[in-house]
Amino acid sequence: MSFVTARIRAIPSWQITLGLALLALGFLIAAQLAAEGPRIRYTTQERSPLVEAALGQQNQQQDLKTRIVALRASIQQIEEQDTGAAARTKDLNARLEEARIAAGLIQLEGTGIVLKLEDSTQPVPPDGNAADYLVTAADLRTAVTELWQAGAEAIAINGERLTTTSAIIDIGGSVLVNVAYLAGPFEITAIGPPDLFDRLSASPGFAEFVRTRRGSFGIGISWAEPGTVAVPAFAGTINLRESHAVVSPSDAPAAPAPSGSAP
Amino acid sequence: MRDRRSQATIAAVAFVLGLLVVVQLHTQTGGSALQALSTPDLTTLVANLNDQNDRLRNEIGALQDQLDELRANRATGATSVDEIAADLAKIRAWTGLDPVSGRGVTISVTGPIEPSAVADLLNELRNAGAEAIAIEDLRVVARTTVTGTAGSLDVDGYRLPDPFEIRVIGRPDTLVGSLTRAGGVIAQLSAMDPGATLDVTPSDQPMLLPATKRDLVPAHGHPRL
Repeated sequence: MSFVTARIRAIPSWQITLGLALLALGFLIAAQLAAEGPRIRYTTQERSPLVEAALGQQNQQQDLKTRIVALRASIQQIEEQDTGAAARTKDLNARLEEARIAAGLIQLEGTGIVLKLEDSTQPVPPDGNAADYLVTAADLRTAVTELWQAGAEAIAINGERLTTTSAIIDIGGSVLVNVAYLAGPFEITAIGPPDLFDRLSASPGFAEFVRTRRGSFGIGISWAEPGTVAVPAFAGTINLRESHAVVSPSDAPAAPAPSGSAP
Repeated sequence: MRDRRSQATIAAVAFVLGLLVVVQLHTQTGGSALQALSTPDLTTLVANLNDQNDRLRNEIGALQDQLDELRANRATGATSVDEIAADLAKIRAWTGLDPVSGRGVTISVTGPIEPSAVADLLNELRNAGAEAIAIEDLRVVARTTVTGTAGSLDVDGYRLPDPFEIRVIGRPDTLVGSLTRAGGVIAQLSAMDPGATLDVTPSDQPMLLPATKRDLVPAHGHPRL
């Protein structure tokens, strides 16, 4: 007993003070947590499962898209190895490769630019509309239209390849491109002629876009011209439920020459 | 010895404290841009993602069948010329390199309309599941743009007449429903461009949409291996 008392006496007073302070701090934190309990529980119950579900679905979507691209690559590989009726198969495969490139089903690289759009960091004035200070689907559509007109030949937004059936729409605070919900900053990658940027910046429409969106609302609009840019393959659905292919009058090798730039 | 022990105790207490603080912070922020969305927006997003992923799964099923057939042919020594030709026809039709036929809707546009309004309409049609679109005799492809001014529109360099017609292949009821719903794109465009009239007519008879006249093979991009 006297041993214990002696030991307690031997503890420096600063340690006792610190110990008490820490105890009080721990108690305060516990009290704080208990007080905030209902609010936290509310958000975890009402919101986190939804966020978790959305994240889960997005992860699944990434896997599904990877599988689609891999399956298309396997199909292409096995088709190219087909040796039956050699001359016809060779011709068909050459046309198929060309059609896949035209359709956006193959990853491409080449000269081009990357255009970056970011939400404004400016404070929204009291009489302002907060939505004007965010990058919207309409902004992305304007930028894409300007790029096509400047001579772009292949475009992707945050890795989503634009095809003949791609829509760009606002849905609940994010932007839907193909099947993917994208959040900013948005990187629009475009393959085109080496002077693509000069052509884009010479466009009155693009100048107007920069002036109104950057000048008036502070939307971040920047660009880069890397040596080569890459646009990934379209990883979505080729939907022809109602359409019937009408094969060109002559099933001969493609009539239009693959060289020469589009008008 | 005693010093060591008290230091260890303080370290343990500090560790627990740090843990509590982190847990607390984690509970309050918890992550991504998704957290910024409202509950109704998140609910819509999850439902849509679910639908989109189902479509991707169907595509995977179809591609897997195609691959299995090609493999079976190879295993038995049979040629796959027919399968390759079918694959080619499908991709060319989808991307606009070949004409396509099918039912859908026609939209006739009368009066001056802004080029951006026509672009919005095309975007909405794609979103509603349009499989192929033509404006007059011009097939709409990925890089199709509408320029000019109201009353004098150009599509891919061709001047449009007034009135002009947009023909769309897809499920007629789905397309009509999403175009003409209250607050839908037709309602919005009519409000913005009161001078223009847009009439949507479902077409159960097959329409023939032409192939694009444009060369879609990039001259400045090549396949990345």
